[in-house]
Amino acid sequence: MIERVTSIALHTLKESIRERVLYNLVVFALLMFGAAILVGSISVGIEQIIIVNLGLSSISVFGLMMAIFIGITLVWKEIDKRTIFSILAKPVRRWEFILGKYAGLMLTLLVNTGVMTMGFYLAYFYAKRTLDWSDLIVLQAVYSIFLQLALVVGIALFFSCTSTPVLSAVFTFCIYVIGNLLSDIRWFGQEAGGAIVEGLTTALYYLLPNFANMNVITQTAHGQAVPGYLLVANTLYTLFYLSVILSASILVFERREFK
Amino acid sequence: MPGRMQTIRGMCSAILILSWLVIVPVQQKIDRTIQTQSGPGEFLYLPDSQFLRTLCLGHEGLLANIYWTRAVQYFGRKKIDKAPRYDLLGPLLRITTTLDPQLIIAYRFGAIFLSEKPPRGAGKPDEALDLLRKGIVANPGYWRFWHDLGFIYYWDLKDYPAAARAYLTGSERPGAQIWMKVMAATIAREGGADTTSRLLWSQIYEEAENESIRKNAEDHLAAFRAQDDLRTLNELMREFAMRQGRPASSWQDLVALGMLRGVPRDPSGVAYRVAPNGAAELGPGSKIDLRLLR
Repeated sequence: MIERVTSIALHTLKESIRERVLYNLVVFALLMFGAAILVGSISVGIEQIIIVNLGLSSISVFGLMMAIFIGITLVWKEIDKRTIFSILAKPVRRWEFILGKYAGLMLTLLVNTGVMTMGFYLAYFYAKRTLDWSDLIVLQAVYSIFLQLALVVGIALFFSCTSTPVLSAVFTFCIYVIGNLLSDIRWFGQEAGGAIVEGLTTALYYLLPNFANMNVITQTAHGQAVPGYLLVANTLYTLFYLSVILSASILVFERREFK
Repeated sequence: MPGRMQTIRGMCSAILILSWLVIVPVQQKIDRTIQTQSGPGEFLYLPDSQFLRTLCLGHEGLLANIYWTRAVQYFGRKKIDKAPRYDLLGPLLRITTTLDPQLIIAYRFGAIFLSEKPPRGAGKPDEALDLLRKGIVANPGYWRFWHDLGFIYYWDLKDYPAAARAYLTGSERPGAQIWMKVMAATIAREGGADTTSRLLWSQIYEEAENESIRKNAEDHLAAFRAQDDLRTLNELMREFAMRQGRPASSWQDLVALGMLRGVPRDPSGVAYRVAPNGAAELGPGSKIDLRLLR
């Protein structure tokens, strides 16, 4: 079972590399080094803060774009090109296929995020002229971003099993945006006064993935560590939410008929 | 067929290059037209910073940095105007600090230049105090905000009891340096005295975390030194007039009597001059601005 999942995952990673997905790293490198060189001359007193903010936001945005735009075609492309028939004709179960695809994209994002993090540290070193142990705090934010990406890939994969790429992209992006505003939505429900609205917004609050839990970029830029319990809680939250979303994807995919 | 393809390619390339050549003058014409039109004035597209924070989706730190950079550039651009108005400085700083409440530099820089009298600043000490109070609420451990608060009460509002209270409150914060207590006592005792003002500006100079704030403090300290020099030189002029029975016409008269060792120069290196009425004053081209002390 693990061999088959691994095989599909590695194949997905190779496919991403073949499709030049990792070219975004060049844009990231240009952005980081451009910022490291320019920022000192156009701003005052925030040279290091802006590099951390820019680096982490870029890792997040590039990763998000990859997670959405590759995630939505993960299953759909196999169905559209009819390669799904040859895959499922082999001794590969449908749930293994889904897990393999998910793991493959996560592997791609891991490589992408890892290289970007190294690029970030190079630019940071250039700007700061030194690096010390306290700078490793940035890794906590990178980890939190990776958890967000893991959730986005799960959602994109779910929609990839059920809808067309365009609709999947719209749905995934909408859920990402709403997932960042859940606290405001719940607050709105509480302020609105009605029991039904409050119930609905509270239900949404727990039903949809809460991406705001993992927004720690700004505090990291000020050198503040993310509390350990928050990192553990976010990891558990992501794992449980992924169990839900991947199970739902498998259920949908198992029932799907291919013509 | 290949010949036809080549013709099409050639035509496309020619159109591409020609169009591009036309685009440049057209854009230049548009730029000129826009420049001659009077704009609608300065405004912010999103004045509600809390709303903007909500829209950031976790990237509010980066947006705060962008707004901060914009505030710095806005201030720098306005400073070179003849009669600058800093209408957007306050809103830009409020947005910056709402997006990132821990961006200390925005509060400190903002407070100094919001409170400074025009043309060096916006002349809005009340806005500066609001900004600092916001900073104190968001960063209760940062005692230096109390120094800035006390300074604005002292220098811009001439409210010495409030200034002394601010320094005293700040001195009680964990980590506050001992000179905060000294300042509180000095202001309570000698509020408004030149020595106290100079002490405060010296502290601002030593504490300055960026070049603009340091330069501002340096200009004020230079103005204080020039004011002292002028006072001393005028005393010497009076003494000369008493001794010689006539006013001095130049510094050479005082040098000849051994009252001065040479032509006196102000802190910017420009020689003081003797006015026709016999009083000492700043020379032409001096970079000292005595209006800073009013």
